[in-house]
Amino acid sequence: MKVIAANIEDVMREAAARWTLVAYFFLSTIFLIIFASAINLDIVDGALAGAKLFGKEVDMRDSISIEKLVLGFETGFSAILYFLCTFLAVFATAHLVPRMQEKGTIDLYLARPVSRVGLLLSRYIAGLILAGSNVLYLMGTIYLIVAWKTGVANPRFLMAGLIIFLMIAVLLAFAFLIGVITSSTAVSIMSTYGLFFFGVMLVAHEKIEAALSKDWQAAVIKTMYWVVPKSAELGQAVVAFVGGEELPEQVLSALSLAPFLSTAVFGVACLTLASWLFTRKEF
Amino acid sequence: MTTLIEVSGLRKQYTSSFRKPKITALDGIDFKVGEGELFGLLGPNGAGKTTTVKILLGLTRATAGTASVCGLPVNDPESRRRVGYLPEGHKIPNYLTARQALSIFGRMSRMDSATINKRIPILLEKVRMGQWIDVRIKKYSKGMTQRLGLACAMIHAPQVLLLDEPTDGVDPVGRREIRDLLFDEAKTNGTTILLNSHLLSEIELTCNRVAVLRHGKVAAFGSVEELTRKGASYKMVATTMDEALVASFRETGAGVERVNGHMVLSVEGHEHLNALVDKLRARGGMLTELTPVRSTLEDVFVDLIRADQTAGSSVGAHE
Repeated sequence: MKVIAANIEDVMREAAARWTLVAYFFLSTIFLIIFASAINLDIVDGALAGAKLFGKEVDMRDSISIEKLVLGFETGFSAILYFLCTFLAVFATAHLVPRMQEKGTIDLYLARPVSRVGLLLSRYIAGLILAGSNVLYLMGTIYLIVAWKTGVANPRFLMAGLIIFLMIAVLLAFAFLIGVITSSTAVSIMSTYGLFFFGVMLVAHEKIEAALSKDWQAAVIKTMYWVVPKSAELGQAVVAFVGGEELPEQVLSALSLAPFLSTAVFGVACLTLASWLFTRKEF
Repeated sequence: MTTLIEVSGLRKQYTSSFRKPKITALDGIDFKVGEGELFGLLGPNGAGKTTTVKILLGLTRATAGTASVCGLPVNDPESRRRVGYLPEGHKIPNYLTARQALSIFGRMSRMDSATINKRIPILLEKVRMGQWIDVRIKKYSKGMTQRLGLACAMIHAPQVLLLDEPTDGVDPVGRREIRDLLFDEAKTNGTTILLNSHLLSEIELTCNRVAVLRHGKVAAFGSVEELTRKGASYKMVATTMDEALVASFRETGAGVERVNGHMVLSVEGHEHLNALVDKLRARGGMLTELTPVRSTLEDVFVDLIRADQTAGSSVGAHE
């Protein structure tokens, strides 16, 4: 516990000193300000009389209930937040392993009575806390702004943060693996984003498989689909979870267990491999 | 005396890139260092000093042989609870203050916060950094960073200190202070100190025993006294040192060399030396100084390396 606490303090102090923490929360705050100023609701006697989004009047002819409007806002923003939170998290945490592995620094950490796996995992936990606190800040603040402006609270929006957090945890595990192998922050960031977008592309794996001329090529794509994190499906899952039953069946189908499980397995495998390699690495 | 560092038949081969031969960094070295001992590890670049230290810390694995610290094998993380390490060119995170750095490394050494908080000011006073406790490390000079590195290595009161160039960048007064601190640690707390340095004068002034590594092997081993004793040579200063006296000394078979107003005598033993003193007195001369000549550790080191180069070039000539 002492080691984890020491690493968390180290990571947070580094993030603060290198302006990462400031930039991380500054960007998030800008998003929040834009969000807060974009919504302009006119509520008379508890009923929605009019609404403006980014200065444009929302068509109220179909007499949309305030609950439905809030659900619509939150569903749309949850998709944006999924991308925003994951991107910022990778930027803010991908350096954790490469910087630790620098000559003159790694000796200081490994000369302590801590197992290498313990050291790596405590850095991982510190990274998750940093990224998780930003997810909570963004989702929590939006949740509170919406609840304050409309009086409507949708806890599913807040809980969707857990899905985003899962995606961040998996990407961070992959960034750690690349960091252990290459000791390069730039390579860690690039390959993690590459993995994310590869996952998005593979959502159309059935179409890609059908377009391929050889069976083995199609088999490779299918295997890749099951191995790589389901970044598109998890994004859809966030939207589906926030929107609930109001959304079309196609979107709601993303809320199955398989994408979650296979993504989590990928993350665990990356972290296990990173730990094994870090244990064997000579400095 | 309890042995705290034990290295036996230690070998380390680094595998370089594909199809290139392996590089032997250590070729079966053995040594033991006891409790409270100040031990120096010397050698030219690439001799295997840092590799030895890295193996003792578990940073790298030995290809063969064994190494233990405080009776525990070096691959057991628990052994590092008793070891403090100051690496060469260390990079203590410069966004931290001395207090924060010591607190983080103390907790990573599994110390409790109360003990850490009590120990930090004491330790920083010891390394003359008391007034810099809450200043960020990026404001420190190189010497100050080095002193803090020493404090970080000592935060958990280790039984063994492995120090790689501890006085690097430190001014002469600071070097003296660090030396005194190490003497005190060894004497008062029985801390075993293994010093890895290129500054041979530092090692000579600080260490009781040394091992000189060359090509991954122990080329010389022993106390500084043993290594620097240079046969039966004496420096003689007398009121008369004319050519006649020198000639009479040479008649006895003594080697005589005149250097800067004194003579360096090479004799067969004490009787021979006394006979020369008698000759001096017989000629009306008075003895004002007679001291045994010692070589410095640097001389020993350079001689070892040169001997190796000469052997190498003669082998080359035969080939």
